[in-house]
Amino acid sequence: MKIIIVGAGEVGYNIAGRLASENKQVIVIDKDPDAVRRLSERLDVQVILASGSNPKTLIDAGIKETDILLAVTDSDETNLVTCLMADLISPTTKKLARIRNSDFDSYYDRFKKENPHIDTIINPEIEVVNTIKRLMVVPGAVDVGDFADGRVKYVGIRLDRHSPMAGMKLFDFSLKFGEDRPLIAAIIRNNEVIVPKGDNNIESGDLIYFVSETEKLEKMLTLFGKKIIPIQRALIIGGGRIGERLAKSFETDSIKTKIIESDIGRCHYLSERMEKTVVLHGDGSDQKLFLEENCGQNDVVVSVTNDDETNILVSLLAKNMGVKNTITRIGKSTYFPLLATIGIEKVVSPRLSAVSSILKEVRKGKVLSDMSILGGRGEFIEAIALETSDITDQPLKKISFPKGAILVCILRNGQIMIPAGNSVVNPNDRIIMFAVKHAVKKLEKLLTVKLDFF
Amino acid sequence: MRWQFIARITGILLFFLGLSMIAPLLVSLYYHELAFGDFIHSIAITTIAGIILIIGSKKRGSDDYINQKEGMATVALAWMAITLFGALPFYFGPEFTNFTDAFFESVSGFTTTGSSVMTNIQGATKGLLFWRSFIQWLGGMGIIVLSLAILPFLGVGGIQLYKAEVPSPVPDKLTPRLSDSAKILWAVYAFLTLAEIIFLLGGGMPLFEASCHAFTTLPTGGFSPKNASIAHYNSTYFDYVIVVFMVLAGINFSLHYQMLRGKTLAFWQDTECRFFLGLVLVLTLIMTWNIYGSVYTSLKDAFRFASFQVVSILTTTGFGTADYEIFPGLSQALLFVCMFIGASAGSTGGGMKCARVIVCCKYCYRELFKIIHPRSINHVKIDNTVIPNEILRSIMGFLALYISLFIGSGILLAGMGIDMITAFGAVASCIGNIGPGFGSVGPTENFAHMPVMGKWLLAWCMLLGRLEIYTVIILFVPEFWKK
Repeated sequence: MKIIIVGAGEVGYNIAGRLASENKQVIVIDKDPDAVRRLSERLDVQVILASGSNPKTLIDAGIKETDILLAVTDSDETNLVTCLMADLISPTTKKLARIRNSDFDSYYDRFKKENPHIDTIINPEIEVVNTIKRLMVVPGAVDVGDFADGRVKYVGIRLDRHSPMAGMKLFDFSLKFGEDRPLIAAIIRNNEVIVPKGDNNIESGDLIYFVSETEKLEKMLTLFGKKIIPIQRALIIGGGRIGERLAKSFETDSIKTKIIESDIGRCHYLSERMEKTVVLHGDGSDQKLFLEENCGQNDVVVSVTNDDETNILVSLLAKNMGVKNTITRIGKSTYFPLLATIGIEKVVSPRLSAVSSILKEVRKGKVLSDMSILGGRGEFIEAIALETSDITDQPLKKISFPKGAILVCILRNGQIMIPAGNSVVNPNDRIIMFAVKHAVKKLEKLLTVKLDFF
Repeated sequence: MRWQFIARITGILLFFLGLSMIAPLLVSLYYHELAFGDFIHSIAITTIAGIILIIGSKKRGSDDYINQKEGMATVALAWMAITLFGALPFYFGPEFTNFTDAFFESVSGFTTTGSSVMTNIQGATKGLLFWRSFIQWLGGMGIIVLSLAILPFLGVGGIQLYKAEVPSPVPDKLTPRLSDSAKILWAVYAFLTLAEIIFLLGGGMPLFEASCHAFTTLPTGGFSPKNASIAHYNSTYFDYVIVVFMVLAGINFSLHYQMLRGKTLAFWQDTECRFFLGLVLVLTLIMTWNIYGSVYTSLKDAFRFASFQVVSILTTTGFGTADYEIFPGLSQALLFVCMFIGASAGSTGGGMKCARVIVCCKYCYRELFKIIHPRSINHVKIDNTVIPNEILRSIMGFLALYISLFIGSGILLAGMGIDMITAFGAVASCIGNIGPGFGSVGPTENFAHMPVMGKWLLAWCMLLGRLEIYTVIILFVPEFWKK
């Protein structure tokens, strides 16, 4: 499979890395020599130093034989023009563009149906805002994601000492909880991802990923000893694109929102666009401002400035002032392992959201969603089981699942089913799987083998 | 300052003012009144004065461009000239003995105030009564706006004149071309006037009186050819027809235009209009409750008279169906406040305008908010649009000037030996272009007993109120005259 990536920024770099490690042919186009050099030194991809929206560049890069074009530069305009040119030169290539400006939101459908026929539009900001909103209502949740249009969720949760579950073995679950037992997909202990079997036990301090129907989530959480809290007041630090979107969305949910932004011009811009949100001018890490605005009374503090260090500092400061629920935006994936040790667990990353949205598109077979957890060390994959794949029409115990992968649940006719050894996956069932990084490729094979189905 | 230019425009306007006097002349001739000669004199003097000014001022190539300062001066001076010459038919008529009274009546007409010095209105000639209503109609939507609509002579500089005359902090331009906007405004205005005439005729009012009333309702003027104003008819039907048209006249005319173009939610989507209509409703209900029992024995009557007085004063029309001075204190206090609030910006009504009141409230709230959240950044918004700082400043300045003018003139008038209630009531009524005031200038009395100086002062207040203070008062700032 041949893929062209236009834009060697953070998103382009990470996707290129992921795809290259999965043995895809990747060509990266960017006009910034430094970015291109950095990429070519570290990754096994072909690079072209040129403007991606230039038709000649695209032809030279072999757009006509390319399966997928990813336009992921920082400029919406460049991405749109790139897709437009690609559409003219090679209409069969699947096109994907990253578009961030919210004023384009209402045109997504037309971009798909009319020129430039963009198959998928990725807006990491939208995804991050959704993630933040999912995360903030589940206390103690480190990670929350949606499957099946939100009917099923996966939740990553830190097990504390008081949890009734601590110390149990997984096969005891069905005895104790019956049908409504949590479907554990992964246990992270001491920074190690364990794909659980029946004889694994869970301990306090573990980070546990489980899958649940959205309706039953509240009940599940009580099993873990947590309960859902309503959010009434929120403080957002950083009035960039994400902060703005988040504040707007809080406004429609009638959450009392304050937003702190350090750039005065941006403050005015926000204040012009917000209705009820209080816009404050100040530095995110200014303790005096926090005291002045009673930071400790907020139900949630979300720090989404462009600066990781500020965000971390803000979250620590807020925790110190008594806010239990803090969500931190982190850009550098190298920070992920460190964060848990200093007590910052609810983390969002626009870059990772973009990467996983794009990966979902690139995967073969009928992948519906694909979510990376823990900075890409594991993936949840929701797919439709194809008739041609090995996974269907035989009992699960006969299928050789790759090591480090697990079938978490089966969705059939809107019903969630817990797989057992004798269960059979029918064609067109939705299945949710979890795999650690190195097992993803094998799992992918299992889903589509025999025929290259693209 | 290009005096030639200002003189020329004034001349053109006077010439047309002279021509517009043909209308009352025809009325006079139709009713076989001997007084038609008064109009012929007035027409002759006014048109000749106009022609002299036009000929005396040579047209120059650079006439097309007018700056804001010249625009304001032109409008202020042209209005002064128009009110002076518009007083001629009154002055020549037998009802008026001196020029002060004639001028007062004329200013009160053009500025759509509706305060009168005539004691026996029904005794006056039909021609004069028609002229009295007609000048309100001309002044309501604006003489300059009218000339922008029908005369192409103002060119690109017209926008400055338009801004100086239209009663709104931020005049809307409905279409890209100014003359089209002016045409639309006048068309809507004429259409509503015609509609009211038809409704009044339908209720059995004679054509002459129906037109006179329609000509003074739509500009929110308030002159009536009857001594007792609308109370003369004592008809529920007329009361409600006039209430409805007064409310329509108090709404921004660009909303009427949007409405006529099929945007049916226009009234509701506009914050100011919602505020205005809400205010009408709330005040009517309070007043109904207040006067039910104490003044009127039936709830229906209480509602009818409450709604009429509230709407009449709030829209700054000034028609009367009841003597609100016998109402309880609360009702009177509310009416006094109504005099200040006034109608919507961009309507024909006067007062401070609802838009300014809303902005002022929001501004004050913002200041209080700022004390609680010292580092907050927020803007004053109406309909989700930010009010820029310079407009905010100009609105706050306007309100300050309005109040100072009210206080200053009230004290001056009281200094002329008039009791306090009457003095402040009369000033509030004249600045707001309403008509009736309080005390001895209440709805059943008139302004005839005012001292000569008092009449000039009040006429001055009316002009300031109609042209929204800045346009006129700028002439008295020394800096304005420096080269």
